[in-house]
Amino acid sequence: MSGRSFRSVFMVASCAGAALGCYLVSLRVASERAALEHVETRIVLAQRDIRLLQTEIGTRGRLAQLERWNVKVLALSAPSADQFVEGGFALAKLVAPQDKIDLEAPVVLAAAPADGPRPQVAGRQQRPDEDSDDGGSPRRMMHVASLKRELRPAAEASVYAPRPAPLKAIEIPVIVAKAPAPKAKPAPAPRNTAASDPLAPLGSVAKPSKLAAAASIISGKDSGRKQ
Amino acid sequence: MNAPTHALVAQRPERLRLVGQRRQILAVMHQRLMFGMLVYGGVIALIVARILFLAAFGDHAGRKVGITTLVPERGDIVDRDGHPLARTIDAWVIGIHPTKVIGDKLDIARALARLMPERDAATYHAMLTSGRSFFYLRRRASPELVEAVNALGEPGLAIDREPDRLYPQTSLAAHVIGYTDVDGRGTAGIERAFDAQLSDPATRGEPVTLSISSRIQQALEHELLSAMTTYSAIGAAGIVMDIHTGEVMAMTSLPQLNPNAAGMGSPEARFNRATLGVYELGSTFKPFTLAMAMDSGVVRSMGQMYNCPASLGVGRFSITDTHPFKRPCSVAEIMKESSNIGTAQIAAQVGAARQRAFLDKMGFMGTVGIELKERARSLTPGSNWGGVATMTVGYGHGIAVTPLHLASGYATLFNGGIYRPATLLKIDRTHPAGKGRRVFSEETSYKMRALLRLVVTQGTGKKADAPGYRVGGKTGTAEKYHNRSLVVTSFAGVFPMDEPRYVIVVMLDEPKATADTYGFHTAGWNVAPVVSRTVSRIAPMLGVRPDKRREPNLAEVLPFVHETEH
Repeated sequence: MSGRSFRSVFMVASCAGAALGCYLVSLRVASERAALEHVETRIVLAQRDIRLLQTEIGTRGRLAQLERWNVKVLALSAPSADQFVEGGFALAKLVAPQDKIDLEAPVVLAAAPADGPRPQVAGRQQRPDEDSDDGGSPRRMMHVASLKRELRPAAEASVYAPRPAPLKAIEIPVIVAKAPAPKAKPAPAPRNTAASDPLAPLGSVAKPSKLAAAASIISGKDSGRKQ
Repeated sequence: MNAPTHALVAQRPERLRLVGQRRQILAVMHQRLMFGMLVYGGVIALIVARILFLAAFGDHAGRKVGITTLVPERGDIVDRDGHPLARTIDAWVIGIHPTKVIGDKLDIARALARLMPERDAATYHAMLTSGRSFFYLRRRASPELVEAVNALGEPGLAIDREPDRLYPQTSLAAHVIGYTDVDGRGTAGIERAFDAQLSDPATRGEPVTLSISSRIQQALEHELLSAMTTYSAIGAAGIVMDIHTGEVMAMTSLPQLNPNAAGMGSPEARFNRATLGVYELGSTFKPFTLAMAMDSGVVRSMGQMYNCPASLGVGRFSITDTHPFKRPCSVAEIMKESSNIGTAQIAAQVGAARQRAFLDKMGFMGTVGIELKERARSLTPGSNWGGVATMTVGYGHGIAVTPLHLASGYATLFNGGIYRPATLLKIDRTHPAGKGRRVFSEETSYKMRALLRLVVTQGTGKKADAPGYRVGGKTGTAEKYHNRSLVVTSFAGVFPMDEPRYVIVVMLDEPKATADTYGFHTAGWNVAPVVSRTVSRIAPMLGVRPDKRREPNLAEVLPFVHETEH
């Protein structure tokens, strides 16, 4: 009985609910659409602003103005035909090292036969300073390594052995560190020299000297103790 | 009885009638009531329906009618690289409604005179009291001024924005772009030629892309302007054109014009010399004559000899040379030293009919082929084209053409012999190159390369050489008809000559001699250096690589040049 009598009410309620649901959906869609349009409008406004700013920049930096600045200040001119190079090879030729002396400077020698011959070379150098057996390269290295400065504090051959050749210096600090002085510096320095030696002929000249100096200080201490 | 019955009888129908009436009235009332209710219900139903409709399909209250796409009031004009050459911006406009002014008019007039000193306070006061409803005070006002005017707080002052045409590059390519009038209608140049496309809402969203390259345009304008100043010329024109497609890469006419304020430019400045000015361009015509002769079999070799006396009498005229040979000379020498006498003889051999036919095919007999509306017809001898006219036309006198005609002609001569109308629009998928027609044979075109390169390496155009860029070309100096001491000097050149790609035509109107030119005012002294400087600036931009080891095949002409002359 009751169900039958409420049936119409249910019908009305469900109809109303469905209508309301549809309405809510359409409302939602409308508001989304409006939001989208709002974004689109903002995009267009931003585009308009960009356009305006571009126009302003373009107007301020117009070619006639740039030309005027060039005539008054920069004085740049068109490149002449000789300033053009054929291609990558011609360009690379321009920056190739020009001094053959640098190439001869057997920095390569010093770096390439790294471990084997060096102790010998170093040994030779320390004992007779001006010996020229294997060529001018070790001698030059000695020059740069500022050995003479270090020679002053101690004259012992065994102590100086490391100084001239940078790679030797690597070994020695380690030894020294083991013995008495817990200095931190020698550890990173040798790495640098090891890396720089083969790569840069000029740089290696400077760096070994530092290293050698560092080594000499250590060795100096060492020698002092020994003394 | 009688009476009551009578009364009854008499009353009955009365009552009955009344009842009937009442019923009738009631029915009418019901009817009206029903009708009113229906109307009322209908209105309510209508409103409900409308509300439901709006709820279902309508927009919500907060909706703005926004702009969804950015379509400018008038289309942009951009160069071939997309740099804007003309744009429409919203500019501030200051106006005044004198009838709406509330404050003291004298004070306002004084304040306005202080802010905008182009009129004095009395004028402003007169405007305010004139009773007219509106005056423009300033168009394209600066934001500072707008702010200051706004700060006056006078409701009668109207500050508004309206679209305004701006040319960001100012005078760059002004004659090509043209300008608009106050109402935004194109009155010159591309603005005029493409007015419909630029203002149509359907097409104005897309910019008009020109073939002009602004960097090349700037280089040409700058070099030409400095030459014009140096040689005190009254005007100048210059064109750089792609010879294969006919695209005009740069086109300038001097004196300069600022299209942002075109009205302030002189008529002289507004005049486009490159397409509207016709000039007798002199010796730059000689290569055409020679090409005609070679094409029609009159000249078979660069070594063909002509007698070149000191002067050649033709009818009552006599033709003279600036560098007389006074001996037989070869075709190569005629071109190298720009001999009028030799060229006149060649032209005479070609004949009037063939000359006219060739000139017609090259487009020299009519208006110059380009999109601009400002274009001129060449001036030809017309019906008077006899033997003498043929000879003078042969070396560029007696025929007046625009510099653009000349550039098109050179393009025709060096692109393999095919004429194509010049175009100011970039050639791409949407705009293919114009249909060409053959004028000269490919062989003739090829042979001319060495000849014109010879003019620059050894002849009159030495100063036009840009080292490494293989410029070839021909100088031209023509006296003005009304005053023979005034000249129009021109140079038409092509580079790189071993594989021609671009033609450059430069013209100076009435250049004067200077100390640097040793008193000469011929083309070799004043326009040729412009070509040299311009080419060395623009050629790298155009992708022409300088190479000092490349040259066109000069072996075709060098054997026929008498070396002892130098």
